[in-house]
Amino acid sequence: MKRSNWFRRLAIAWLGGLLLVAVFGDFLANDRPLIAKIEGELRFPVLHQYGEDLGLVEGYQPTVRNWYRLQPDWALWPPIPYIAGASDVKNGNYRSPFAEQNTGERARHYLGTDKLGRDVFAGLIAGARVSVIVGIGALLISLLLGIPLGGVAGFFGNNALSGTRAFWWGWSVGGSLGILYAAINLLPFFRLTGFFSTALLLLFGFIAGGLLLVGLLRLFPPMRKAMNFPADTFVLQGVELFVNIPGLVLLIALLAIINRPSIWLVALIIGVLRWTYVARYLRAEMLRIRSLPYIDAARISGIGRWRILFRHALPNALGPIIVVSCFGLGGAILLEAFLSFLGIGIPANQVTWGSLLGQSRSHPSAWWMALFPGMLLTLTVLAANLLGERE
Amino acid sequence: MARYVLRRILLLPLSLFLLSLVCFGLRQITPGDQVISLMSKDEARLANDNPAGFDLAYHRAAQTLGLDRPTFYFSIYNGALPDTLHRITRAQERAMLRTFTLRSGNWPGVQQYYHELKRLAYRVENDPAITPVIRRLLIQDNFENAATSLQRLTGRPETAALQEAFDRLQSRDRAVTLLLPAFSWHGTDNQYHHWAGKLLSGDFGSSLVDRRPVATKIRAAAGVTILINGLALLLVYLISIPLGLYTAGSRGSWFDRLTTVGLFILFGVPSFWLATLLTNYFTTPAFNMDFFPSMGLGELPEGASWWTTLRIRASHLFLPVVCMAYPSWAYVTRHLRRSAVHELNQAYIKTARLKGLSRSTILWRHVLRNASFPIITLLGGIFPALLAGSVLIERIFNLPGMGQLLYTSAIERDWPVVITLVLLNGILTAFGLLIADLGYRLADPRIRLSSPQNAAT
Repeated sequence: MKRSNWFRRLAIAWLGGLLLVAVFGDFLANDRPLIAKIEGELRFPVLHQYGEDLGLVEGYQPTVRNWYRLQPDWALWPPIPYIAGASDVKNGNYRSPFAEQNTGERARHYLGTDKLGRDVFAGLIAGARVSVIVGIGALLISLLLGIPLGGVAGFFGNNALSGTRAFWWGWSVGGSLGILYAAINLLPFFRLTGFFSTALLLLFGFIAGGLLLVGLLRLFPPMRKAMNFPADTFVLQGVELFVNIPGLVLLIALLAIINRPSIWLVALIIGVLRWTYVARYLRAEMLRIRSLPYIDAARISGIGRWRILFRHALPNALGPIIVVSCFGLGGAILLEAFLSFLGIGIPANQVTWGSLLGQSRSHPSAWWMALFPGMLLTLTVLAANLLGERE
Repeated sequence: MARYVLRRILLLPLSLFLLSLVCFGLRQITPGDQVISLMSKDEARLANDNPAGFDLAYHRAAQTLGLDRPTFYFSIYNGALPDTLHRITRAQERAMLRTFTLRSGNWPGVQQYYHELKRLAYRVENDPAITPVIRRLLIQDNFENAATSLQRLTGRPETAALQEAFDRLQSRDRAVTLLLPAFSWHGTDNQYHHWAGKLLSGDFGSSLVDRRPVATKIRAAAGVTILINGLALLLVYLISIPLGLYTAGSRGSWFDRLTTVGLFILFGVPSFWLATLLTNYFTTPAFNMDFFPSMGLGELPEGASWWTTLRIRASHLFLPVVCMAYPSWAYVTRHLRRSAVHELNQAYIKTARLKGLSRSTILWRHVLRNASFPIITLLGGIFPALLAGSVLIERIFNLPGMGQLLYTSAIERDWPVVITLVLLNGILTAFGLLIADLGYRLADPRIRLSSPQNAAT
């Protein structure tokens, strides 16, 4: 028991370290100094780049194209003075970490280079960022879809969400029609193209359509009868339809046709494909929690059901959910590496662990390109699996 | 039981219908014009000197592909659009007409603009100042860009009518028509109906790349994939069932601890990394360790004896099968051990031991059956994995199987092949889950098959 705790801490430390590397990657590997003094002026080139990207500050004048050629009074370089994807012609053609390297005054390529002299260490750091983005992005999306659906299905079941027939039919049918009308008629009429204005208009369509149809249906007496919303059946049928879809195969087909691949899209698709795990698990967990005495106690003291769900039942289920989602994190990172290894779905100029591994296949004797990314990937997956292991 | 199977089988068509809709949608949004690839070279060359003839040839080619039909059984669309827009077969022109109408709400005006453009584009005498601009305008669906292009033509008498038609589109006095929705029912004469009907009758079409029938291509590739997966499955069960039971029986021993840790690590090692390392080290001369022949299935000499055949095939298949098998192998052993340990703590085991049954009888007769869930799960998952897991292994070891076929077809956007493979995989996934559920039930008759809960993990 003691030892497994120790391993767990190690796993958390590894994943936390990965997150730090992803966030501060620009300060670890960059082709410009962190601090440099040029002609008496103190510059912070890496930080400044953030400001420029955000549009907060103007670029330094005169613009520096190549910081290597510049002769500053003094400069503090990042530990790895190279950036992923930039080629170093002098050290091209697969330079081993131990071979002679032609870097002059600068630091060596600690983990070697690839065919064009691109630094492998810098590539690993860029790859860590991609892994973290895809892993956490996919995780958040699957939680965002899975927690409400699984929570409502498990907590309310089929017989607890009561309302009138007019209410349920009005909101489901009227809301959908409202969204449809907003999309095909209101959008062109108001000439909206922005993301937020579009989303706002669709939301407006949902609310207006729902309210309108509920109001209309209330005029008919049979629609005023009580009806329970079969939340559990809906979610379970949805899960059942979804598990029959061959995820990985569809993913390859989907990503291969996309003209402009991006890592955000990969994260989105992986997340959408994985929501059923979260929903199914949370539903089972909720079935258990629902029958615990403290929920009854809360109900008797007159707390509203939605409040019980969000304030008392869901937080109790979050611990197990986080554990399960660690498993999902490892799976998503592995899937991203798989895709970039095949060269599908990730932009061609993006360096990832998978793309480095894929490159190594064309030059088998460059062992450093196969070993290091694979080891990082394995350790990350192992750490995630260790945290996701249910005792 | 029978009701459950019936319900699952009835749900299957619904799942497949949804999957077919997804595939059909994918085909619709795929970039690239498949009509052009169908037209003969002579016809495609007409585009420059005889636009009218080109349009006619294009329309005819699109008709043979059924692209002049409406897309689906019904459509819900903006009331400003006409219900016969699908008859314009060129997708780019259709997009232009749609965006312009949705901007102005003035379909007659757009029509006039379109006819004016066509008239100018069809003119026999080629005017280098006008004709290229007009042809670009026909597929220009950005209103502002069209306006700038037209500005360059101002002052020319030939284009005066066009300018006038375009200027009319700028006004918003007919925008109110945009607020009307419209619905039309197209009946069964639509693209989806014809496509799905062909699929159901077994006509999967032919590949866009080499024009061979899709069924032939898949049949040729299926053998390799089934062979590798069958061997891998055999390997998994041969190793993991005895290992899982043995480690559970001797739980707590150093062998058990070592195996548990080893399998945990093995399960975390991505198979494509290991496969890459194995191919890099053992199949290439880079490190003087090329013990195995490189990629592919190997060439069989003419009239080879069964021994030679076996030797060549085995040397080529050894690494891929191992790489394919070891993740499932680690998975099954770990889970089998866990559930076997759980069973060993039950009272009935104590009874069996008191009866004087030997250890191996207890493990193999009593524990295995009750602890067999992970084995069944794997058996259910093997059908979909046939394709998905094979993509990488077949890519890395360059085996001409279904995974490789899926990859190359997806890269080349060979839709008929990709869609058939996706649908096939959907059917296999559904059947695999059904078989696994029935297997759980066979192993443990107390299980109630009523919710997808049982299909979990």
